[in-house]
Order: sequence, then structure tokens, then C-alpha cells
Amino acid sequence: MSKLSVRVRSIIFSALLFVPVVAKAQQLSTEQNLKHGEEVFAQTCTQSYCHGAAGAAGGAPKLAGRGLTGDYIERVVTYGISGTPMPAWGQILPLNEVRAVIAYVQSLNGIAPSMRSGPPPALTGEAAHGRDLFFDPQHSVRCSFCHRVNDRGLQVTPALGNVPADVAALRNLATPQVSTATAGSDTFPALLSSKIPTETKIYDLTKFPPVLRTFSPASVEMKDGSAWKHSQVLGNYSDEDLGAILAFLRAAR
Amino acid sequence: MHQRSWFKLLPVLAAALLFGSLRCDAQSQSVISQPQVQQGATGADWPAYGGTNLFWRYSSLNQVNTTNVKKLVPAWIFQTGDYQEGLQSTPIVVNGVMFVSTGRSHVFALDAATGKLLWQYKHQMLPGYSPPARSKSYGLAVSDGKVFLATYDDFLIAFDQKTGHEVWRVTVEDPYTCRCSMSAAATAVKDKVVVSGGGLRGFIAAFDMKTGREAWRFYSIPGPGEPGNDTWSGDSWKTGAVINWNSGSFDADLNLVYWGTGNAKPDFFGATRKGANLYSSSIVALDADTGKLRWYTQEVPHDSWDYDSNWEPVLMDRIVKGRMRKLLVHINKGGYSWVLDRVSGEVLGTYPDNEHINWVKEVSQSGELIGRHDVVENEPAWLVCPSNLGGKSWNHEAYSPRTTWIYVPMIEMCNDIVARPAILGVPGSAGGIWVMKPPPNHDTGYSHIDAFDPVTGKRQWTYQYKYPLLASVLATAGDLVFSGDAEGDFFALDARDGKKLWSFQTGAGNRGSSVTYTVGGKQYVATPTGWGSVSADIMSVLWTDSDKWRLGSALVVFALPEDSK
Repeated sequence: MSKLSVRVRSIIFSALLFVPVVAKAQQLSTEQNLKHGEEVFAQTCTQSYCHGAAGAAGGAPKLAGRGLTGDYIERVVTYGISGTPMPAWGQILPLNEVRAVIAYVQSLNGIAPSMRSGPPPALTGEAAHGRDLFFDPQHSVRCSFCHRVNDRGLQVTPALGNVPADVAALRNLATPQVSTATAGSDTFPALLSSKIPTETKIYDLTKFPPVLRTFSPASVEMKDGSAWKHSQVLGNYSDEDLGAILAFLRAAR
Repeated sequence: MHQRSWFKLLPVLAAALLFGSLRCDAQSQSVISQPQVQQGATGADWPAYGGTNLFWRYSSLNQVNTTNVKKLVPAWIFQTGDYQEGLQSTPIVVNGVMFVSTGRSHVFALDAATGKLLWQYKHQMLPGYSPPARSKSYGLAVSDGKVFLATYDDFLIAFDQKTGHEVWRVTVEDPYTCRCSMSAAATAVKDKVVVSGGGLRGFIAAFDMKTGREAWRFYSIPGPGEPGNDTWSGDSWKTGAVINWNSGSFDADLNLVYWGTGNAKPDFFGATRKGANLYSSSIVALDADTGKLRWYTQEVPHDSWDYDSNWEPVLMDRIVKGRMRKLLVHINKGGYSWVLDRVSGEVLGTYPDNEHINWVKEVSQSGELIGRHDVVENEPAWLVCPSNLGGKSWNHEAYSPRTTWIYVPMIEMCNDIVARPAILGVPGSAGGIWVMKPPPNHDTGYSHIDAFDPVTGKRQWTYQYKYPLLASVLATAGDLVFSGDAEGDFFALDARDGKKLWSFQTGAGNRGSSVTYTVGGKQYVATPTGWGSVSADIMSVLWTDSDKWRLGSALVVFALPEDSK
């Protein structure tokens, strides 16, 4: 299948997924919005591992009639609860659906529905597509394994600085921070993570995903420079993909 | 049959003389070869999650046996302080040191004779990370001088076995995107450590023990262009999940790693993922060096009941229809066991373990589902037995080469299921709702440990219990079967007739996997205690007095008093 057709298919898929919802949400009355919130809640939150039908409790806490405040519900639905299975729905569902669910859960706690507030506006167009690619679980090698943007992704490298001007610049990115480490008979491309008198921690970039290895300082030697190239880990992104990713990085700043 | 020479029996005879009270069993010795017993049984150590990589959960120790088990007393207790999900772990014991992990991925190394803490590691979950369910850890692997921990936020960490110092860590998957929930204990396979997990496309992956570098990765959903990808309609392969949340087994002679895979997502709602949905609800055999698929057997094509195949693949060599065969015996969540040829994956037989099964009329001897009653969209809820929590939960069975039987902890419970569309690709969006119900003509659920002939499925005895049995079973050469219950009683049954010989109130419900080992020639039996898990919580709705099932997180370790050996 050509890249174009994949792209076209994904646009059509996105359109099918979101357009009816958005179109509906724009014209929703308060009552319709609540009804929509109930539907989304039934699809995502009610399963018995979680909050149960109408928030009556399952594997996760009861939500109905708990006296939860409107702000609390909005915050938890949007940002989740770190360290628990409650995810940040603001990063997962389209904005209108998040708002509808918030209104619905508020209604379960006797709070009159309000559509005034909600999570920050979502990215659109190419930047949104780029964000999806940056974190895309279908790419076995992907940007977010090493780079953290807007509190998502792993911070193997320091926070990203300047965004490369174009795709060629991204592919040919100089990586002077990657050096060559030797530990016994093992030599590998290395990114220093931390160094204290008792231990040196180094990312081993030989294979994807990178391995954070711990050495006693005397047992490992690091030399500047490496044959490792950023283009090695961009292999399964097309130029078009990388263009969208750059658009995301610019918009995310 | 393998030939037996007299000197191979020497250790057995010596043990018999040492510990006495061995009942000679002509039947088992003709059915199971001595070399295989040495491969499958544990000795002084409990070196691997399933005991050995054949996953028998059977120990050759017999110092504690049917005649003296009633004298067992506590030797030491260790409180972990981590009450997340109770204590669902299997301790590993190597050279007198016990290693145990807890729900929040804490690791403790203890003196296995006294419980003294030698070192500990307390994992900090990634900031901002939201696991797909409450975090848990079933255990560890110990090999190559290292202890391997798979964490719920998708790290694999290697520690120095003696000091606990970290040697390496690798992010197996990006947790913020994948939410892969690695709960399964890592498995040591030659020079590699194998882990498994979920996300949108489940995986089984091997890492080099020395460096942490990835050696291979098998996705339990084939990618575009790979055989089997077309068993998922449209783009449903991208979101089919197939979470591999338990450990597998390994045959060193065949060089094959065996794993049970998860069900296809969305649960219950099959309309958006037409097709057989390979390799969901299957047993896969992978080359240990390359991860390449050698064969697969799908137990439940296009599942609509949440019947995954994640439970333990138990490897044994047994005579089937007059011929010695290399077998893999595996129980599916739907309450049927499959008997496979582990060289080829051929189905040699099946049998029901549950007393209440209605999702199929039967499973044929060659493994076909006859008379399926699927959960279908727009149909009213119907009572499916067993429940989607499983006719057996993850807690493991045990196989004794002495009795030749397999000991299986079963739960009789059903649920009303109704299918509803899910939001595809959104982790946590299931395709239906279910409510726990008792089996037909019962007021509540119940459970039982059964002894089965693992080849024919003939039930030899049953031990019944009024609440869910959610602890693993342990079998020993002392002809004992150990397990624990919801009320906190850790008990021993006679392996030959299921009679209860001993029990001890440990103070909290038992939800982990007991093990046995020796230090300095003295046999210990250790059980994790502390009720917990999402399944245990959900089951509690069926019993009005389920508040008796107490939480906790402690290891309780037993031995015979000095004067009774």
C-alpha cells in the first residue's frame, strides 16, 4: 500500500471518527450534551473493572452521589490521577467528549451542567497528526521513547531545544553528545546520563530501545564522538511523517 | 520409555532413607521418567517462577510429609509494608536467599532461614504515569548473578543478586503511550530474560541478561503483510491489544518458549474486529534464540467472552494412546483444558475443569468449539458461565509426578454480559458491561481444588470451599498439596485423596503462590498472605460476608520444630 493511500485512509478514518461528533457537539443543547456525556461515559468509564454503570462503582471507586465538586471532577477527568489507573482523558478523547463526560459526572453529583470551562484547546491539522506520530504506538521505534514533550514521553535526552528547520536537518541532526563507551570488551554508542563518585550511568544506544546501564567509574571509559546517527532511529518515519512531527514540535512550544 | 539404571535412582533411595515415609509408587514410575522428574521438580532452591521452567510447581522435598505435616509451625514472618493489591507474588529462593516483589514493584532480598532483610529496592513509578489497572507484580527472575524485575510502568530492571545495586534498566515500551502493564514475572531463558505485556498490540520480548539490549520481540498481533494480520477486519489489528499478562514456560531440549496470549479487544464486542483475531487466546511456541513463531494453537477464535489464554503452559511427557508424547497442558479462562503436543501444537485432547460451563456445548477432542453461544451486540444480557474473571483465575495449578495428577484451583461463578461498542484505541474502553452472578440454581459462587488426570481429565478428588480460592497450589514429594484461602487459612491436603491434614490461620487472605525450599538441610514452606486484586474485589459482590477476606502483605514461613524431624 502506498504512503499516500495510508495517509488518505487515516484522514478518512479521522474524519469519520471525529466529524460527526464535532458537528453534533456544536449544536448540542445542555441536555443533549449531558446525554452525549452519558454515552461516552458508558463506553469508557462504566466497564466493571472501573466505575460501573452510571458510576455506581466496580473495580474503581463509586462516582455517583459522592459530593464531588465540579472543579475536582473537571481536573481528574482532564488530567487523571498520577499513579492510579485513572488516565488523563484530556489527552485521549476529543475536547467535546471530555467536556460532555465532565458535565455528566457533575450531574451524577448534583451539579448543574456548565459548558463554560474545559481542558486547553487541542492541536489541530498537521500538528495534531504530528503529535499522533510522535507518540504512535504502531511505530516500534518512535520519538517518544527518548524525547519528552508537554509531559509525555521519556526523557532519555535533555529537553528539546531548537526545532530543526526541515526534514533534511532533522535527519542529519548533529549529535555531539553521543560518545563511545568501553566497558571491558564491550564498546557501544553512549549517552551520559549521570555521574557521581560511586557510579556512572550511561544510555547504551546499540539497539533500540536504549538501555540505561550502571557502571563503577573505573570500569567504563568514555571517548568523544560516535558513529551513531540520529537517522538510524528515524527509519520507519516517512518524510511526510517527519514534516508533521516538526509542525507538532513548533506548535507544542 | 527411558531406560533407568540403578545409579540414577541413588539420590531417590538416599532421600528415602534420609527422610523416610516414602510410599513407593509403581504407577508413577512407569508413567513418568526419572530424567524428566529431575527437570521439572525443584530441590533445595525454588529457582524460577513456576518452580522450574516446565512450570510444575512441584518440589522433590519430602522432609515435610503426610505423617508430620500437622506439626508445622511458623519459623518467621516478613511484613512488606506494601499493601497494594495484597501479596500476589511467588518468592524465588536461591542459595538460602529469598527474593520477593510486591504490587508497587518493591523488591526484598531476605535470609530464607530467618527472614532478615538483606537488601531492598522501592520502585518509584514514573511521574504522571497512569497504569491501566491497579499496579501489581507476580514475581521475579533470578539468573546470571542478577535479579530481574518487570515493573508495571514498563521497565525491566536488573539488580546485582548479592548487593541489590542496579546493573541496567530498559524501557520495554514507552509507558505514557503503551500503558503495557507488565505484571508477569520475568522468565530466565538461557542468556536472555523474557518479559511480556500489553498495550495496543501485545508483546513478548527477550533482553540480553548482561547488557539489557533487546534480542527479539514477538507481537501477539501480526503487523501488516505478516501472516495472520488478515484475521482482523479493517484496522482492528491496531487496537486488538492481546495483553500477555502472565509468564510462560521453556523446553530447553526443543529450544522453544511457550506463552499463553490475551483475548482480543474490545472485550465482548466482536463486530468491529471480524475474523479469528490471531494470535489472541492462543498458545504460541517461539524459538528461544530468535523469537520466531514456530507454531500456534488458538483455543478461542474470535473471543466474545473475555476468555484469554494467559494461564500457565505446563510441560510434561506422558503416554497418550500408547505412545510417549511431549505435552503442553493448558487451561483456558473458559474452564476447559487443552492437551497439546508441544513439538507441533497438535491438539491431542480437551476436557472441562469447571462444573458450570455454557458458552459452548462442548470443546471437541481436536479443540473445536461446538455450539458457541457468543455475546452479541443488541442482545439482552445473558448469564455466561464461567464468569469473565475465569473458571480459574491466574493463581497456578501444580503437577505431581508421584501421583501423576494435576491440582487445579477452580471457581464456579457466572456473569450477565451485555455487549456495547467501545471507543477503539482508547485504553480502558471495553466493549461491554458485566455483573457477577451465582451459577444457575445456586445462591452464591463457590470454588474447589481438583485432582485431575492431566491427559484424560478424569477427576480423582475434589476439595470444595464456600469462598473463592485465589491462591496457587503447591505439590510436594511429601504427597502434600498446599494452598491458602480467602479467610487466611493456609492448609495442606493429602495429594492422594484431598483430605485436609493441617491448616494455620495466617491472619490475612491468601492470594499468592506458596513455595518450599531448604536451608542447611531444613525444609521450609513459605506462603504470601494478603488478600487483594481487582478480581477479588469484583467477586466480593456475590458474598454478603466478604468483609472477612482480610487485606495484608506478609510472608509467613513454616518449618517442623527441631525435635520432630
